[in-house]
Amino acid sequence: MVARIPILKLYNCLLISIQWELDDATAIQFQEDLLHKIHETGANGVVLDLTSIDVIDSFIAKVLGDVIGMSKLMGAKVVLTGIQPAVAITLVELGIHLQEVLTALDLEKGLETLQRELGEKAWRANPM
Amino acid sequence: MEKVNQIVEYVQNNREQIVRDWSEQLILMDKQRVANVLSENVYLNICNDYVNLLINSSTNQQSESKISEFTQKIVRLGWTLGFTMDSLSAFGKIVFFPMADKTTEKEQVEFILDYDRWISPINIAVYNLFAETWQRTVSLQKIALQELSAPLIPIFENITIMPLVGTIDTERAKSIMENLLQGVVKHRAQVVLIDITGVPVVDTMVAHHIIQASEAVRLVGAKCIIVGIRPEIAQTIVNLGINLTQVMTKSSLQKGIEAALEMTSRKVISTEE
Repeated sequence: MVARIPILKLYNCLLISIQWELDDATAIQFQEDLLHKIHETGANGVVLDLTSIDVIDSFIAKVLGDVIGMSKLMGAKVVLTGIQPAVAITLVELGIHLQEVLTALDLEKGLETLQRELGEKAWRANPM
Repeated sequence: MEKVNQIVEYVQNNREQIVRDWSEQLILMDKQRVANVLSENVYLNICNDYVNLLINSSTNQQSESKISEFTQKIVRLGWTLGFTMDSLSAFGKIVFFPMADKTTEKEQVEFILDYDRWISPINIAVYNLFAETWQRTVSLQKIALQELSAPLIPIFENITIMPLVGTIDTERAKSIMENLLQGVVKHRAQVVLIDITGVPVVDTMVAHHIIQASEAVRLVGAKCIIVGIRPEIAQTIVNLGINLTQVMTKSSLQKGIEAALEMTSRKVISTEE
């Protein structure tokens, strides 16, 4: 049984806080869960909070990049928040630049960014 | 080791002559023209000190502190290691040749061996201390440089600036990056200005480090503006084919601050009519 990362729905956004180091299986499971959830709820914004992550490896970084790309394809904007300095350095050194991904300092700023990006849509109750 | 005693005796008896010869030769040898600055007395003193050192070492156990004192003196005079080595070997020749004239060939070999056994440890100690002194200086300067390396200064709420001065190498780039990111998180900055006015040369490596730093800043959730791009730096960057398009750049710190204020929805207004 793989540990699953909780995905919370907040109005039209999904809120994910990763609280422990991801292993490969969890990361893949998370990718699937998130995409299903986006499909299910029709969310158009995702905030992914990485404050508690101190270490990241190339596989997890790749999965994160993939998830972001896939979410975008499904019409949801992703904001990464709370990336630790050490993680940022690792990502850059691994050559994973996560171009075109929105980032913010913490969850609060991330939600603000998303609101700015999506306009009113973000906080409107889901039409579905 | 009885030959050593002969040599010491010879040195003691002809001390003044040896010291005078030696210091004269030193002045001739001194290619750095320190001689123009230093008086002959300084050379005489140094030579005297060294001879004292040698004579003391033959009579009692050689004292480390005496040698280190002597070395400190040399370092303070600004002699190079090469010059020091040359001068110490010159001393050997001055003592050795007049003595060798009076002896047979077989004795000469013994002389050389004994002499070497006697004087080498002292010379080596001097060289080691010399090198140590320099190493200490270098490491102190390194620490000082690190302290000055990369300060991060908050200038407005959410706006911080990192002025970079001096050449950037890989080691420094690393500490700059760490300081930068930790500072951004600590000060909760939205915009970071990296001022490269004081960086003399921007080559591909420096540009690479700057791009990496700005990427990392973006990942932690702030925006990065490179300011202080002088005309010649702009030319180098383009000529080297470095792609800085994904990084925002401004020519001066002033323009950068204006842009940063704009990005955080603020502006400076004049209070007078």
